[in-house]
Amino acid sequence: MQLEHVGVRYGKNWALQGVDLDIWRGDILAFIGPNGAGKSSLLRAILGLVPLAEGRIVLDSHSAPLRIGYVPQRLDFDTSFPITVSEFLTLNLPQQPLWTRGLKQHQRHLKRQALARLQCEHVFEQKLGALSGGQFQRVLLAAALLREPELLLLDEPASNIDRRGSEDLHQLLLQLHADLGLTLIFVSHDLHFVSHLATRVGCLNQSFCGLGPPSEILCEHFLAETYGSAFQPRQTHF
Amino acid sequence: MFDFWSYDFMRYAFLSALILGPTCALLGVFVTLRGMSFFSDALAHSAVTGVALGFLVHEQWHWQVDPFVSVLAFSFLLASGMAWLFHKTTLKPDTVIAFAFTGSVAFGVVVISKLGKYRLLDGCLFGSIYANGPADLWHQGALAVVVVGLLAWQSRAYTLSTLSPDLAHVQGLRTGWLNYVFALLIAATVTVCLKMLGALLLSALIVIPPAAAKLVAQSFRQMVICSILIGLFAAGTGVIASYHWDVPTGPCIVLTDVACLLLCYTLHALRKTA
Repeated sequence: MQLEHVGVRYGKNWALQGVDLDIWRGDILAFIGPNGAGKSSLLRAILGLVPLAEGRIVLDSHSAPLRIGYVPQRLDFDTSFPITVSEFLTLNLPQQPLWTRGLKQHQRHLKRQALARLQCEHVFEQKLGALSGGQFQRVLLAAALLREPELLLLDEPASNIDRRGSEDLHQLLLQLHADLGLTLIFVSHDLHFVSHLATRVGCLNQSFCGLGPPSEILCEHFLAETYGSAFQPRQTHF
Repeated sequence: MFDFWSYDFMRYAFLSALILGPTCALLGVFVTLRGMSFFSDALAHSAVTGVALGFLVHEQWHWQVDPFVSVLAFSFLLASGMAWLFHKTTLKPDTVIAFAFTGSVAFGVVVISKLGKYRLLDGCLFGSIYANGPADLWHQGALAVVVVGLLAWQSRAYTLSTLSPDLAHVQGLRTGWLNYVFALLIAATVTVCLKMLGALLLSALIVIPPAAAKLVAQSFRQMVICSILIGLFAAGTGVIASYHWDVPTGPCIVLTDVACLLLCYTLHALRKTA
């Protein structure tokens, strides 16, 4: 996938401008930057959730349409809505004709398999609104995996979980990347999480200030350029 | 207990309640989860304007317009307008609903006052289920088929977009189009149900059964089933109770709905303390 001079605008304000990026198969690409830097806008542009004000996104013309999975930061829903994890996962399954033989058993198997892969099979019958932050994140991930994506986009995956949960998630994503050959793109404020997971890091502040391996990018120069001169590298946990 | 069945008007009223009670309750599941309860209320009250415009056309151009048609047309117009404003502007939905609601009712009242037909307001505000005839039952049956058919066909899209419009969009579901259709479905339901409960009480038929069901359901499937059963029970019981106690039917249906809500709340509270 290639992003050519991509720009996103909300009203008169540019969230992103002139972003050029090549995304390679098997990449683990992280976007970092201060609030309002356009990280989530870039994810939303790749997903087609916001129109491009300029530029274009080009897919490899030789391949079939890309299967994309998306894990939002959170769902803004009424937590008293009594939908169960199983029902939520059903909504995310690829649609099959209702008359398919053994459809219910097959769907049940797929849903249990997805949860088992994320080590949270026990929440199968629980209500979605009653899950903890870490469990909820895993269910969202399981829902995204049900569509067998080639490219998985995650918006702030470690934001609603504690340090231990964040380390578990990091291991889990590495495992998924290795097992399924996924391309991962994620947005995060957690530089510790980014430095351990990403193979490439993009520092965003409306356009890229730097893009490359974490060892090169997560240094004082690029971080100060991205976050401003007030950035204190000692405050992060590498 | 079932001697009411020997009267035509009671039979029609009872059948009408059995069709519309569960239909509104099913639609109400999605209306309440999407936070659109006030939207259906606004459309119900704007029916006054639809009726008034029908009479205005008759007075000015001598065209006989069936009030059902004028209310349906005006409700569709208002629902489309509000859905468009939700989608295209940064105005909050409650702001859009408030000015569309009050603006249209104010316009309707001005037209009615000019025509000198204040009695129109009575029919619109309180309804009259006993005026139902076979033609009304056909309208209601058709509405039930459309509501159940559309919600069953697009249940995945409507449920997922209620939880997260972004996830629905990523899965290729056309949420913009579906939102317009949903707004029109509410408009059609409100128009058809107006005769049963009137503008003042109509939203109870849509809002209370799912609210009660949500308190006791352990899954979305259970919520849908409970809501339909409560809608059916309250509408049927309300009509029979109104016949036996000789009180207006609309309030009887709403009070039965409220009793169901209180019962569900008690069950919910007992479960929490257990």
